[in-house]
Order: sequence, then structure tokens, then C-alpha cells
Amino acid sequence: MGGLNYTMLDTAKLSTAELYGKTLTDLADDHPEIVGLTADLAKSTKIGVLGEKYPERLFNLGIAEQNLFGAAAGMALNGMVPFVSTFAVFTTMRALDQVHTDICYQNLNVKMIATHGGLSFGQAGTTHHCTEDISIMRSMANCKVIVPADGMETALAVRAAYETPGPVYIRINRGFDQKVYDSMDYGYELGKAVELHEGSDLTIIACGSAVWSAREAANVLEKVDGIHVRVLDMHTIKPLDKEAVLAAVHDTRRIITVEDHNIIGGLGSAVAEVMAESGKACAFKRLGVPDTFSIIGLHEDLMAHYRYDMNGILETARELMGADFEEDNDWDDEI
Amino acid sequence: MSERYDDVYYTNRVFLDSVLPVIKPVVDGTASLQKAWEGKTGVCQISCRTDDGLDGTHFLIDDGSLTVKRGVFEGKVDVELVFKSRVHLNNFFKGKQFPFPAMKGIFGGRGMFLPFMKSLLAMGALLAAKEPPKDVNDQRLLVKCMFFLLSSGISTLNKLKHPKIHSWTSASPDRVYAWAVGDDEELSAFIRIKAGNSKASRGKYTRSMPFFTMRFDSVPSALGILLSIDDMIESTVSGKLVMEGGPEYGSQLGDHMLLIGSLIQ
Amino acid sequence: MGLEREEYLRLDNKARELRKLIINTVVWAGSGHVGGSLSSIDILTLLYYKYMNIDVKNPEWEDRDRFILSKGHIGVGFAPVLADKGFIEKELLETYNHTGSSLGMHLDKNKVPGLDASSGSLGHGLPIALGLGLSARLKGQDFKTYCLMGDGECDEGSVWEAAMAISHYNLTSIVPIVDRNRCMIDGRTGDVMSLEPFTDKWRAFGFEVLEVDGHDLHSLSDAIETAQTAVDKPAVIIANTKKGCGVEFMSDDYRYHYASFDAEKAEFCQTEIDRYHDMRVKG
Repeated sequence: MGGLNYTMLDTAKLSTAELYGKTLTDLADDHPEIVGLTADLAKSTKIGVLGEKYPERLFNLGIAEQNLFGAAAGMALNGMVPFVSTFAVFTTMRALDQVHTDICYQNLNVKMIATHGGLSFGQAGTTHHCTEDISIMRSMANCKVIVPADGMETALAVRAAYETPGPVYIRINRGFDQKVYDSMDYGYELGKAVELHEGSDLTIIACGSAVWSAREAANVLEKVDGIHVRVLDMHTIKPLDKEAVLAAVHDTRRIITVEDHNIIGGLGSAVAEVMAESGKACAFKRLGVPDTFSIIGLHEDLMAHYRYDMNGILETARELMGADFEEDNDWDDEI
Repeated sequence: MSERYDDVYYTNRVFLDSVLPVIKPVVDGTASLQKAWEGKTGVCQISCRTDDGLDGTHFLIDDGSLTVKRGVFEGKVDVELVFKSRVHLNNFFKGKQFPFPAMKGIFGGRGMFLPFMKSLLAMGALLAAKEPPKDVNDQRLLVKCMFFLLSSGISTLNKLKHPKIHSWTSASPDRVYAWAVGDDEELSAFIRIKAGNSKASRGKYTRSMPFFTMRFDSVPSALGILLSIDDMIESTVSGKLVMEGGPEYGSQLGDHMLLIGSLIQ
Repeated sequence: MGLEREEYLRLDNKARELRKLIINTVVWAGSGHVGGSLSSIDILTLLYYKYMNIDVKNPEWEDRDRFILSKGHIGVGFAPVLADKGFIEKELLETYNHTGSSLGMHLDKNKVPGLDASSGSLGHGLPIALGLGLSARLKGQDFKTYCLMGDGECDEGSVWEAAMAISHYNLTSIVPIVDRNRCMIDGRTGDVMSLEPFTDKWRAFGFEVLEVDGHDLHSLSDAIETAQTAVDKPAVIIANTKKGCGVEFMSDDYRYHYASFDAEKAEFCQTEIDRYHDMRVKG
């Protein structure tokens, strides 16, 4: 359990990706079977940090992603625990046949750390964005899917990935995320959502970079509108914390999901599945990239443009509070 | 357009819309009254003369079963108490029994005069209690009736745009406030408010968790507060009363309950 | 150099047995990838009955030699080998392709002992072999990893990605073997997507090329031994074979990539196999 001591200061300086590299290296100190693989993105994904301390344990296989994931599978077959890093768009699309057939189908102990998820690499344009990966990886049997909210949570997720057998997909950003957690001791558990704000008027379920926006929105709604919002950091998309969703449906009857991802197939859809099967009425809205290929811009500007930043969430929350889902025609008192 | 009413009108409407209807749960919860109504069919009414006619609440009886209806019955009424004015009605139900209202149907009321008067007096006696009734059934009945009339009374005042109540509902998003005793299914009521609208309902709100619940741990605890014997703060501290939701909302609701109380006593 | 006569006869006889078992398995399965199975079986025989360092009683033995059936569709060709060696019950072959069976068109590592990786999607095997080779070196293990691919399979870019990396890391413990039967589903490889100059390509990717007749046990044996001792660069064995080898009417015919036989035809195949092997051992 040792070796993972980070203060707020560390995470303030480190982007999500850098913390990943550091965490992995610390884990590698204690576990010789951990190896790293990348496709010419050692520096960008920060897995290069592992290579600095253990050069013989970091394998750069050049710009060949299918080979990268096939090789990771081969290493896992020989008892290693490979951490494979490349951009999310390449992990889940370029190399999906390997991810699906070699890793998930054979249920191998490969940990896929996909960086530059969502629109975090805004200026690079669509070829380097990834707004489909949660949707894709959710449908891979045997695979766990985690989208941590900030640097701290990434460190915890990386450790949880090592401790959880089988394929794990962790999606992080390019870095420089807003801080959500001040310490590691908030009770992180794979598959259990974290309640960041209490309330029973409405629930916001978010993952990744949207978590900070959600929490900020909740603070504003409380102060300005007197609306009490429950905020859930749903860091594990698969297995989803169904109980938390059902509780939100029952207790608040209004849910907004927010993700740096297409509104089709990601967190929003996962929550909708639970909601729909519960058979209970619930007002619902998914915020995220509205089924389009994104324009170019800085991450924050893009989230604002597609209305899933803090302001977008505020707008939607206020709208939802006025929405009907219970009969509004009969206001006669029972006598 | 908000018509400003005076307290007489508010009080009168609370009696007609919220207090009188409580006759039904009293009858349903009292064996001797049920027996008295057995086999009876017809219409009973309580009304008062107003500036432009008559206002009242009537009861449709069908083979001993009562249905409460607001307003004046269009047709022949078998038993009726007619008050000279709204003030007359108010005073009567506040406890000033003289002068009596005019009574119709003492003999020709298809045998309903006696049961009706008995029921009315039973309700009056129950609600006039300054202390908890001795009989356990009566205690439960009293709590139930108070929950019903309070939720309904608040809603009535809202519909009349009583400034204190209406400002509360206007600003509110869709929320449900509930009253409960432990997990008791019977002793429960709630009111749903949304952007100026309100609806009082009996029983438990099951669609989801109410925004706020005033939950008493027992019937005696409930009576303590409802009969203004105990202090709300003390009851909360001692655990007799639990505010499920923000305490500010609890105190708001408490204020509205006191308002109803002050009008009808 | 080649094999001693006695050993040669033993191995050829085993290949004959396995060919017959393949035909039976295809019948039990209802249908199967018979052509590619028959073209590969001589290679498989040499690996499993002479060269590979494995332990039937310990299929997960850490230091065993690995075999990746990258041309995973010849499950009906490989399962008989595993059954005959004793990794799985021979009776299991009779349930091939049946609902709920552990044996299907493409073999599943999590269901079949003795299998080192699941396969079926072409182009996946060599990258997996790369991973095995890299981890072996890291852990100080010295097992060999043989990877059997089809030639049509070499259309896949991932094969060349792996080849590039194997050469870059000089992983001489990995031995890719190409079953060059010059046939694929839609026709001959030369007509669909030509691979020539094939051996040049492998040389350009940094491999020593060992080109042999894939049905001559002597030259195959020499090639495997040479590959096993590679030092300066990894070696690839290009085995020139005939699809459907052993049964005259199927031999070198791309249409027998996948086929089905009735009892009579199957019986005929068995006699043809005998005829083929009788001729082979003579010469």
C-alpha cells in the first residue's frame, strides 16, 4: 500500500497524465511484473516517466498501435502486467480489434491508460479527439472502464487497476485538469460513485473533467437559486454504480449527466439504461458533445461552446427544475 | 390579479374546505358513527349566507358511505345547517355555539339528522381537545385529522393567494412536504407545491422521496406539537420530531401550520 | 542434413495419422477449414512431435516453448494435434462445433488446454509472439515462440508492424513460419493481392529467410534447426505448401479453403491420404 503520498501541491503542479506516470513508476518499484508500452507517445502520455527509472521495462513499439496492443496481450500471457499508453482515439479505434480479441476476449491482465480523452486536445482537431471511447469500451465484455476526475483520482484509479484482475480501460486527459479532491482519503472504491454535494432537488452525474464543472454548478445553484443539487462523481462507468443511480432517481427525480464525450453511448446512456429499466419517472438530460465532430479550440472553450461547462450545466439544471414529469393539471386538494 | 381577502374570509374558507371535510375520516374511524349512518342515502350540507348567495360544503351519502363535496348542492338537500353569515359559521366552529344555525331536516331528513349532528359534534369535540384524548383510537384519529386539515388548509390559503403562503409557493420549484408518524401508512399526509400551485393529499407520497418530511416518532409526540403543548425546538432536540430535510424548511412549514391554527381557534 | 530414416518414418507416419484425424474431425464438425489444415500439418507434426519443449502434464509450465496459431481458422487441423498429444480428450473432437462445445472453428485459450493464445482474427499472432518474446527476454527466460501464419494473412499490416519490431529488438527467440500455399478464399494469392516478391519483403524487414518445401520433412527440419540457432538476426521460415495436401482432388485448389464431406467422400479421402503417404515415404 505504500509509496503513494501526494499532497495538494503535487497535484496542483502535475497534470493528470504526469501523475499517472509517477504513480506507475511507484507501483513498478514494488511489482516487477509491471511493464509499460507505448506507440511513440512516451513523452506525451507521460509513461516515459516509468522509462526514466526502468528503461528496460518500457517498450516503445513505434507508431504501430495494433502491434502495440497485440504485444501487450503477448506479455500478459507470460505473466506480466502491461500498462499500455497511447491516445484514446488510437486505443479504442485504431487498435480495437486487438483490444477486443486479444485482450478482452482472452480476459488478459492488460491495463489500457488512454490519454487525451474527450476534447482535451482541443487544438488538435477531430483526428486527435476522442468522444466515442466510453461508448466503445463499455460494450467490451470483461473490461472495466474508469474515467477519473482529477490527478488524485487518477493515481487511485491506476492503483485500483493494478489490483483488479483482467482488462481495465482508464481514460484521462491531456493534463492540467481542475482539482476536485484535496487528498487520497475520500474512500475511493472501484465501482462506487462519490457524492460530492448533497441535495434532493436534482442530481448531476458526471465523470472526468466534467466533475469539477458539476460541483461548481451545484455551489452556484445552492447560493443563487436555492436549488439543492446532489453531485455524483461516477468515475467507474463499467461496472456502473447502479444503486447510486436508482437512489438519484428515487430521491431527486431529476438527473443531468455530464461528460467530455458524445451524448450517445457514454455515461449518459449508461445512466439512462438503469433509469429506463427502473420503470420510475425521472426527468433526464444528457450533456456532452452533441453527436458532432468538434470544432477546434481550447478545451475550456469547447466545453462552453457545447454547453457542458459550468454555465451550461446551470442553464440545464434551471430548465429541468421547471420541467413537468408529474401531472400538472390537477391541483385540486384531496377531501 | 390578486384579490385581497380578510381574515374572516380566509378563516371561513379553511373551515369549509379543510375542516368540515374531516368529518369523513372521523365517521370512517368511529364504529358507533358508522353504525348510525348504516343504510342511509341522501344529501347533507353545511352552508352560510354570503353577500351574493350561499356558500357551503355538502356530503353525498350513499348507503351509509360519505363523499365530501365543496360548494352548495344543486338540488334538494335532506339535512342542512344554515349559518347567517361567514362570521356566524366561523364563530360556531371556533366554539361559540350560540346562536345556533338554522337546521333543516330534523324530521324529514330521511333519518340522517341524528347521524349528521352526532358526526359533527364528534368532530368538533375531537378537534377542540386541549389535551391528548384518553382513548388510543381517538389519539390516532386526531393526528390523522390534523394532518389532513393542515395540509388542506395551507393549500386552500395558497389558492386564495394568502400573501404569506402564496409567496412561499410562488418561489418554489416542484417540491413535496410531508407529515408522518414513524412509518405509519395511515397517519400521513403531504402537500405538493410548484410555482404558485399547491395540492394537498392524504397518505404517503410514494413517487419519490419528499423534499421535506416532518416526522414524529410516535402519536403522543405528534399530539404534543399539534396541540401546541410542546415546543418544536425542544421536540426536535429530544428526537420526538425529526426534520428530514433542511431545518429552515421545517420552520417555514411550522409557521404555516401555526397560521392555520391561529385562524381556526 | 535432414532426419535419420527411423525418425523420418515415425514423423511421416504421425503426419499420416493426423491427416486422417483431420478428415474425421471435419466430418464431426459438419464442415471445416480443411485445405489450410492439410497444408500446415507437416509443420505442426515437426513442431509438436520433435522440436517443441512442452509438457503435456503441465500445459501452463512457465518456461515451455510457445506456439501461436496465427492462422487461427485451422482449428480443425490443430485440435487433432492437441488431442493426439493428450492435452485434450480424443472424444472431445467428436463434439467439434456442437453447441456448448469447448471446440469451435477458432480455438479459445480459456477453454482448450495446451493452447497458448486464442486466435481467429488474422494478423494478431505475430504481435502476440512479439509480446511473448519481449517478456521472455525481460524475465531471463529462453523459450522459443513459434508463430504459424498463412500467406494471405500477410496482407495484414499488423504482421509487418510486428516483423519490424521483432527485427528492431532482434528477438531471435521468435520463429515466424509462413504456410505459403498461395491460396486464399477468393482465389490464388497472386490474383487477389499479390505478395511477391515475398521473401524479399521479409529480408527487407531484417529477417534471414529460410525458404523450404513445406511437405519435405527433411528440409523443414533443417529450417527449424537453423531458425532455432539464429543470433544476428531473427529467421523466418517460408514453407511452400499445397493447400489440401494429401488428398489429390483437393491439392492446390483454393476452393477447398473450407469444405464439407459426406461419409463416402470422407472414406475416399482416407484412402487418398494413404496413397499420398505411401508414395512420400518411398521417395
